[in-house]
Amino acid sequence: MKMSLKTERRGIHVDQSELLCKKGCGYYGNPAWQGFCSKCWREEYQKARQKQIQEDWEFAERLQREEEEAYASSQGAQAGPQSLTFSKFEEKKSNEKTRKVTTVKKFFTASSKSLPKKDIKEAKSPSPSLSRQFSLETDRVSKDFIEFLKTYQKAGHDVYKLSKIFLEAMHHKRESNIDEQSEFTQDFYQNTADKLQMYWKVSPDKVEKVMDQIERFIMTRLYKHVFCPETTDDEKKDLTVQKRIRALHWVTLQMLCVPVNEDIAEVSDMVVKAITDIIEMDSKRIPRDKLACITRCSKHIFNAIKITKNEPASADDFLPTLIYIVLKANPPRLQSNIQYITRFCNPSRLMTGEDGYYFTNLCCAVAFIEKLDGQSLNLSEEEFSRYMSGQASPKKQDLENWPEDTCTGVKQMHRNLDLLTQLSKRQEHIVNGAKKLEKDLIDWTDEVTKEVKDIVEKYPLNIKTASQALAALESENVEDDNLPPPLQPQVYAG
Amino acid sequence: MAAAGGGGGAGVSKTYSFKVVLLGEGCVGKTSLVLRYCENKFNDKHITTLQASFLTKKLNIGGKRVNLAIWDTAGQERFHALGPIYYRDSNGAILVYDITDEDSFQKVKNWVKELRKMLGNEICLCIVGNKVDLEKERHVSIQEAEEYAESVGAKHYHTSAKQNKGIEELFLDLCKRMIETAQVDERAKGNGPTQSGTSRRGVQIVDDEPQAQSTGGCCSG
Repeated sequence: MKMSLKTERRGIHVDQSELLCKKGCGYYGNPAWQGFCSKCWREEYQKARQKQIQEDWEFAERLQREEEEAYASSQGAQAGPQSLTFSKFEEKKSNEKTRKVTTVKKFFTASSKSLPKKDIKEAKSPSPSLSRQFSLETDRVSKDFIEFLKTYQKAGHDVYKLSKIFLEAMHHKRESNIDEQSEFTQDFYQNTADKLQMYWKVSPDKVEKVMDQIERFIMTRLYKHVFCPETTDDEKKDLTVQKRIRALHWVTLQMLCVPVNEDIAEVSDMVVKAITDIIEMDSKRIPRDKLACITRCSKHIFNAIKITKNEPASADDFLPTLIYIVLKANPPRLQSNIQYITRFCNPSRLMTGEDGYYFTNLCCAVAFIEKLDGQSLNLSEEEFSRYMSGQASPKKQDLENWPEDTCTGVKQMHRNLDLLTQLSKRQEHIVNGAKKLEKDLIDWTDEVTKEVKDIVEKYPLNIKTASQALAALESENVEDDNLPPPLQPQVYAG
Repeated sequence: MAAAGGGGGAGVSKTYSFKVVLLGEGCVGKTSLVLRYCENKFNDKHITTLQASFLTKKLNIGGKRVNLAIWDTAGQERFHALGPIYYRDSNGAILVYDITDEDSFQKVKNWVKELRKMLGNEICLCIVGNKVDLEKERHVSIQEAEEYAESVGAKHYHTSAKQNKGIEELFLDLCKRMIETAQVDERAKGNGPTQSGTSRRGVQIVDDEPQAQSTGGCCSG
């Protein structure tokens, strides 16, 4: 149990250096730009792109034709004998197309330029594994989409055509404002859903399914152009959020009042899974898949709360826990992902559905993290700024309370930090002592000087002249003359 | 085809999708209220749902199908500023207070002010005095609460999640009012969308909006 937990924990760490731009400009790179940041990518590939457009043009056109044919033939094959008329209709359609081709050609070639061309370029790109995987996925999605639409016959064909026309129009809008592109996409969703229901009489449940497939089809193709586009400051916002979350690494469960007890193995398992899910969101291309990651993450959070509290989680429990998970996970390109989902997800899913609820909570969590201050963590402003600047770390205090399976490296680090703190304290003590000694010495000197002065003042030194003294002495001696003469020794006859 | 323009396809009666937010301080019983409504259980160990923060209920009111999505919101004061992100695009709001807690009623008043300011009269407001089983400890006068509700164009309800009182009526009434509002809306527009919830109003997330709200919320709180 413990083992698996540890490896999973290790699994979710992404090396910072892998996220940075390959050119080393300090911004974050993006796999869609082969590891460059938006600026470097533009510089690097602007020229190459121009060149390749010519080369790819013909190839793209051929692909487009093949796709169309494949669709037409698969329609015919699937429908079988019953749809002789249908395939005839198809034929007529294609005849019509050839007639119109001069006018329509412009549209189709334009779209094909933007789509398959990418795939070719990627095959030549420096990170082939990732891009090949992407282009394979694009192909697979197209095939699946065609397969899926077969079951809807005429409506399916029309939906396919609508989607194609939409993609093409989007291509023409490539240089325009992202909000305009978003608006256009949303209108497309709305109109298509309305058409499905009104003209083709598709039942509401099925409309939802078709809409999901349409979203899948168009967004796999549009992702590269509309995710974190160069024209917006999404990338800058990503960096800001990332830095902000990194600066908040010290926030604990207790500060956020998270009703989750990570000491329970099952709960910490759920927490790890939730973190993995929210990180995984960035790797998905379709808004709905991204939403699904958020939903999975939320479900794991609910499980963690349910195990801890033994009652269904309310929003009062859920939101703080989600905030905690976001802080722990620091999901890559969080703002870009939120913006992308907001702009290009099928709105009906986002407004009222369960996914929408969890997404809204994620938006709330990010808004909270951005505005977070000491008050919202029940800390004084002083404490908060000390933790933010890294002068103090609240975690050290509960070193003893840490669960046993905490990473030994982290433990060691905190022990070392403790030692360093103690060392710096001692150092300070010594410096203070030295200063005191210096002061004492100065004071002592002063004191002695003062004392000497005082004594000198009190007992001034009056030195009498030597002659006087001697004279006095002599004068004293004069008096001696009056004395009887010293006794003379007498000899006694003996 | 003319009927189709009216919405929802001619033969099938249309389905309304409504979003309802639950607002109120922590501990006033928001969660118990929805759990009682959707699961008919109170503080029960056998509650099957994993969570009580997003619940749905399908209703049939006079032949009109209604899909109700109930969004619980975090009631802690520090999350107050996030309100606008939650209640954006909602058709109804249930503002819950605890009849034994004067403060919680004050919070409801703040919410009403904010909602009317942000969403105008499009949103149906319900003010709910919960825990009427604790009538003896009542600190919010019935008269004051009802008068206040009327003055702001909201309806007042007395409920007890514990004794299952007044809850069914609350939601049924709210749904009827939301259908009315939606119908008025549709007539005004001429061609109503198939689902009132799916019309695209304000899916954009504006960063500054909740921030601006936060200052107002904090000061009044």
